[in-house]
Amino acid sequence: MDDQGCPRCKTTKYRNPSLKLMVNVCGHTLCENCVEMLFARGSGNCVQCDTPLRKSNFRVQLFEDPAVDKEVEIRKKVLKIYNKRDFDFPSLREYNDYLEQLEDTVYNLTNNIDVESTKLQMEQYQKENRDLIQKNKVKLTREQEEVEELILLEQQGNEQRRLDLLQEEQRQLQAKRKNKQALLDELEQSQLPATILLAQHKVRAAKLETQIEQQKQTVKPTSLFSTGIHMHQTVSLQPPPKIEEVLYLYKPLQVVTYGPPVPELEQLGRLGYLNHVRAAMPQDTAGGYTSALACHRAIQDAFSGLFPLKR
Amino acid sequence: MFHKSSQGKHWIFRSEDDVEQKRLTANQKFRSVTLESGKPAVSESMFLERHEEDVLFRHYEKRMVDFCNAFKPVMPKSVVGTAIMYFRRFYLNNSIMEYHPRIIMLTCAYLSCKVDEFNVSSTQFVGNLLQETPAGQEMVLEQILEFELLLIQQLNFHLVVHTPYRPMEGLLIDLKTRYPTLENPESLRKNADEFLTQAAMTDAGLLFPPSQIALTAILNSASRAGLSMESYLNECLRLKEDKETLSKMYDSMRQMKTLLRKYELPNAEEVNAYKKKLERIHAEFSISSNKRKRGYEEDGHVSKEPRLIEEVRPYLHDMLTVKQSGTTYFHSRFSLQEWTDEDLV
Repeated sequence: MDDQGCPRCKTTKYRNPSLKLMVNVCGHTLCENCVEMLFARGSGNCVQCDTPLRKSNFRVQLFEDPAVDKEVEIRKKVLKIYNKRDFDFPSLREYNDYLEQLEDTVYNLTNNIDVESTKLQMEQYQKENRDLIQKNKVKLTREQEEVEELILLEQQGNEQRRLDLLQEEQRQLQAKRKNKQALLDELEQSQLPATILLAQHKVRAAKLETQIEQQKQTVKPTSLFSTGIHMHQTVSLQPPPKIEEVLYLYKPLQVVTYGPPVPELEQLGRLGYLNHVRAAMPQDTAGGYTSALACHRAIQDAFSGLFPLKR
Repeated sequence: MFHKSSQGKHWIFRSEDDVEQKRLTANQKFRSVTLESGKPAVSESMFLERHEEDVLFRHYEKRMVDFCNAFKPVMPKSVVGTAIMYFRRFYLNNSIMEYHPRIIMLTCAYLSCKVDEFNVSSTQFVGNLLQETPAGQEMVLEQILEFELLLIQQLNFHLVVHTPYRPMEGLLIDLKTRYPTLENPESLRKNADEFLTQAAMTDAGLLFPPSQIALTAILNSASRAGLSMESYLNECLRLKEDKETLSKMYDSMRQMKTLLRKYELPNAEEVNAYKKKLERIHAEFSISSNKRKRGYEEDGHVSKEPRLIEEVRPYLHDMLTVKQSGTTYFHSRFSLQEWTDEDLV
């Protein structure tokens, strides 16, 4: 995080990692302290590039690389003007060309290439497409409003649920308290012996508990599944259509050895090969090893590639 | 089935010339790269010639085989065979001048233990370098680990090596079962084993499938014992009808035997002379080769490694000096392990 120090006070960033860096329009960073000091004296020039600055132009740095922050700022400004949408264009090619023009503008402004001509271009574009820009602005704000409304609704729903829960808890607490109070009253006034009263109290408390449990478990029936499908929407229970395909046919592996034919694994015992191989001990056979396996491998290796290749 | 394996597809070459050509290319590539790099002390005479490289290669190969044979716990033959094959394949595409053989040979042995499931911990492995102090062993281990990934890359990640030992066992079993004419095939085993160990030190593994090498070993051993195995080839291997294949097989067997006969143990004086040249080359170009040695980047290691390697190099050099008598510095108790059917699991 602190791979770069503040260019003015140099050390303070390392010593104090919680210190924030501010970025301005020329893309250079300054820590908060330095910003204040610089503008307390009244002089407003960037340390590294000497561009005149205003204190309001400083924003808290969000990204590690100040150049990125600078670009983000420029992009926001450019997008306010170049705000056409994809359905404003008759073809994809033209939309892409427009986007490329936009990117070129942002790039030029970020890297201080042709700043004058780029700004001129921007102004020209603004003049030409004034009403379109206006319309799009309105559309954008409308969409943003819709999204905000949805968010608001959700929050309200959450609030509501929270309040309901709180109320429930309150009620339960009160019920318990009432119960206790009732017990104390009865102990005072009634003629029955204390043990019976206590037993009655216990029964009532237990009943209350089960009531609370039941309430917790009765979930309010909803009308929507979490995916958005309505609860009582009929779903067809027919099986999905069967797809007819060619069945898979097993073809055994053909191994080509450029050499004499190797006997099959199962035949090795019958052919007498296994007499010349160390017999498998009981510990080995437990894992599935047979002496035929080792024998087969040796024979395979011996015969593979034995004949010279026909070139 | 062998022809579908990575060894059959990528590491079997048509002729010895092909193999030699690859080594020559590697040599020349190193030369051109170093000359182009513009270092001041470079001259043509400093480089090793092909035959000099060969001598050194055989010397280090022998050294590796002795190391593996003196290994405790006892290293199975297939592990040794795999290590030799790795060593050979590595120096098919790389020049000795670029990567020093003494580390590569240890890395090959180490990797082959892992691949062949011969479980040795790394400390146990370097513990077999009896002439080193524990600190020296650790340094060698670090070097091995550094080169391991490079080795795997240069092997093109083809790590499974088919050695001729199991085919030999299979042929012996087949002989015992289907060829009662031969009374005691076990008698052939010892000579065949020797043949195989010698064949591993030649290019036979790069030219022929292991089953052919095993068959040659057995036939060779039989002819040395004066027994004829013609009828085995004709009857049991059903080659009576296929004269062409039979003659081709005889050709390859003759070629293999020639390869074995051509092998000669490296001459100690020559080895020392060429080794000095090699050391000089490595000392000169060590800075660039240090960077290339790194198979993977580890930022923390960058400053540490070069110094370590510089320290270890003269130390290792002393350790691996060959004495005049020709016996190696390691305690080599060369015991021919009897590969009986017991090992067939």
